[in-house]
Amino acid sequence: MKFSTKCAVGGLVIALLATVPWWGSAVLVQFGINALILATLAQSWNIIGGYTGYPSFGNSVFYGLGGYGVAIAMVQYGMPFPVGMAIGVGLAAAFAILLGLPVLRLRGHYFAIATLGLAEVMTAIVSNLEIAGRNVGLILPLVKGDALFFELALILLVVTTLTVAWISRSRFGFALIAIRENEQAAAVMGVNTTLYKILAFALCSIFAAIAGGIHAYWITYLDPGSAFDVTLNVKMIIMAVFGGAGTIFGPVLGAFVLSAISEVLATKVTSLASIFFGIVIVAAIVFMPRGFADFVRQFRHLGWRYFQENIRTYRV
Amino acid sequence: MDAILEVRNLTKRFHGLLAIDHVSFTLERNEILGLIGPNGAGKTTMISLISGTLEPSEGEVLFEGAPIRQLPAYRRGRLGIARTFQVMRPFPGLTVLDNVAVGALFGASGHSRVLRDAREEAQRWLEFVGLDRHSWQRAESLGGPDRKRLELAKALAMRPKLLLLDEVMAGLNHVEIEEVINVIKKVRDRGISILVIEHVMKAIQSLSDRLLVLRSGEKIAEGQPQEVLSNDEVIAAYLGKKRHE
Amino acid sequence: MQLLWQILVNGVLLGGLYALMALGLVLVWGVLNIVNLAHGALIMLGAYACYYLFTGLGLDPFAALPVAMVLLFCLGYLIQRYVLNLIIRAPMFNTLLITFGLEVVITYLAQMIFSADFRTVNPSYAGANFIFLGATVPLVRLLAFGVALGLTFALWLFLERTRIGRAIRATAQNLIAARLYGVNPRHLYALTFGIGAALAGAAGTLYGVVSQINPYIGSGLTGKSFAIAIIGGLDKSIYVLAGGLFLGIVEAMTALYIGPTYTDVVSFGILVLVLIARPTGLLGRTA
Repeated sequence: MKFSTKCAVGGLVIALLATVPWWGSAVLVQFGINALILATLAQSWNIIGGYTGYPSFGNSVFYGLGGYGVAIAMVQYGMPFPVGMAIGVGLAAAFAILLGLPVLRLRGHYFAIATLGLAEVMTAIVSNLEIAGRNVGLILPLVKGDALFFELALILLVVTTLTVAWISRSRFGFALIAIRENEQAAAVMGVNTTLYKILAFALCSIFAAIAGGIHAYWITYLDPGSAFDVTLNVKMIIMAVFGGAGTIFGPVLGAFVLSAISEVLATKVTSLASIFFGIVIVAAIVFMPRGFADFVRQFRHLGWRYFQENIRTYRV
Repeated sequence: MDAILEVRNLTKRFHGLLAIDHVSFTLERNEILGLIGPNGAGKTTMISLISGTLEPSEGEVLFEGAPIRQLPAYRRGRLGIARTFQVMRPFPGLTVLDNVAVGALFGASGHSRVLRDAREEAQRWLEFVGLDRHSWQRAESLGGPDRKRLELAKALAMRPKLLLLDEVMAGLNHVEIEEVINVIKKVRDRGISILVIEHVMKAIQSLSDRLLVLRSGEKIAEGQPQEVLSNDEVIAAYLGKKRHE
Repeated sequence: MQLLWQILVNGVLLGGLYALMALGLVLVWGVLNIVNLAHGALIMLGAYACYYLFTGLGLDPFAALPVAMVLLFCLGYLIQRYVLNLIIRAPMFNTLLITFGLEVVITYLAQMIFSADFRTVNPSYAGANFIFLGATVPLVRLLAFGVALGLTFALWLFLERTRIGRAIRATAQNLIAARLYGVNPRHLYALTFGIGAALAGAAGTLYGVVSQINPYIGSGLTGKSFAIAIIGGLDKSIYVLAGGLFLGIVEAMTALYIGPTYTDVVSFGILVLVLIARPTGLLGRTA
């Protein structure tokens, strides 16, 4: 498909999605907002985890800081939403840069654990802060109408995805991919690995923070447990990996598919839905470890042997 | 002739093990200096110290007269120092072309900042080393000799002034070795200064203007190839090693 | 001064339990290179096993402990043999995700089967205390501490002195070396994970006696175990013990001097600091 055709199709899809709040049911719109926000989170993780190869388990911190920035600004100081959002983004970016410096020096699973630790620390700190309403949380002013939030979330996802698309064909993205593939070689070839890692981390913090701010304002309620929800981390990673980490549309696909599965199952007993979700994850890692995007690409040549091949490659 | 690289009193310790022991030497501009010595002499360590992959315990490294000890590896790459790795380090998931393009994008050449230009330049370097047939293959699918060529192309794409080669001929047959020698000579003709580590004796003899011999981290000889190779200590270093192995 | 001594005693007693919690995680991590996010869920299962053995069969918790260990061993063996073995050569990241999936399955199965209510295991001697140099020492906590120490020592003995134990240690270095011991690798891996699960089960049993349980305690306990493992160091059982004791004491002191709601801040804060400054742990070898 030519580039201009792709753009036209993409624009059409987005325009179509934008009309959903006007004909969709309330449930569909709510599902849409949640899915869009999760897709943004998965996409933001994609930048640091998928492209740069640093699997962060701490993006929930940025999400939470975005939410609390908005909540504190609006509730404690009476500021309007955009100002609160700017504060949230500022906090998240500052956190990414300051804590990114020491933490991005760690490799692989140590980095993952360090970010997980940071997420836990932040949750614990915030639940002790008076200004954040401690454990009880904050209640935000109500804005009627989900349509607004749907459009905001949609715009956010589009911007995030466009950024990832830009990354995939820019010099900046090349540096990230080089770092992922072989960091020592990249350094020796002239890539300032520290700078690029921090930039990637900061970039993903911005998108995650905005997602958090929008979500907080929409739900009108925020408490440390839900804002810095640690399970969100794994969710966004699974969605990105399931769809295909390091690709442009993988995370979006993963987020929507997994959200849909979760939603459909949730019509039954909630526990059952979660159990199936867990089983889907286990099965996906065993049979499609490189994600859905890879599956689609290779299924054409290999057919059902694709699953066999994956197991053969990775088993004992 | 002025020295492009000067190493003064360079020393490296690993937890009490002396890997490089107060070594000093110079590399003249446009010269090919061969670095030889038995296994474990510290040759790769020396290259790592110059390229910035390792930090020295003592001593100084001067590039074009300026000290570079404080500079991290990526800065040295931008200044014009490029190296190959003995244990090869491609970017496995990238194509051969893109592997080399990384060098063009981030090396000493400030101009190749657009992806398309970098890829064009990468293609030229692949032709130079004879790998252009494989441009679109994934790097991890290359065989041994081709991987060595890729390492070389990656380093060259950085448009270095100083090239550090670490055993680019290991495992190659006669014909392939001849080809590599020719490529290296062509590289020197472009004005690049080269430090070569090699075990293939005939190759290093025909290639080098001067030789430097290390044994157990110490410099034991330096000078014209014929002199150095007939030096008793040098011969003992190699034979002695053989007897104990 | 009196108070400080009490806090120290509390911390040490807690620390022993913590060490046992982390032990299984470290074993699996060190030998199989599997970072098991479901570890806390296994601890939770151990606690419930003890609970049902106690309320259903009237077994004293400390008698139920070996039973729980066996049950968890079997579960762990099966999980490794038929699920984790399938992906063991994939990037480590995949095992992180798959164990998360397992954690979700285990937690919500537990919620469905056991219900979300809080439970405690209350043996008849639950309230018994005695005084040690002026500090009150609850009997159950002392017993738990003793069992934890005992199991830590037993694991060390097992790994050092038995053939299978040495085969397991060899696997950590080199699969080929392990094959020299004549054990099928699939079985060996499954054994190792089974032992890790059994240790988690033991920790769960003890946890159930000293604290309340519900199906959701898994993720918190996993996090805690990670902190202990990293802070102490992954190389030896004794490091884990040290890490557990250290964290136990630190948490007890934090609760007293700063406030009980700050224990997580301090625990995880130290985890992050250790990772940044000395990733091999306070006691581990320098990388």
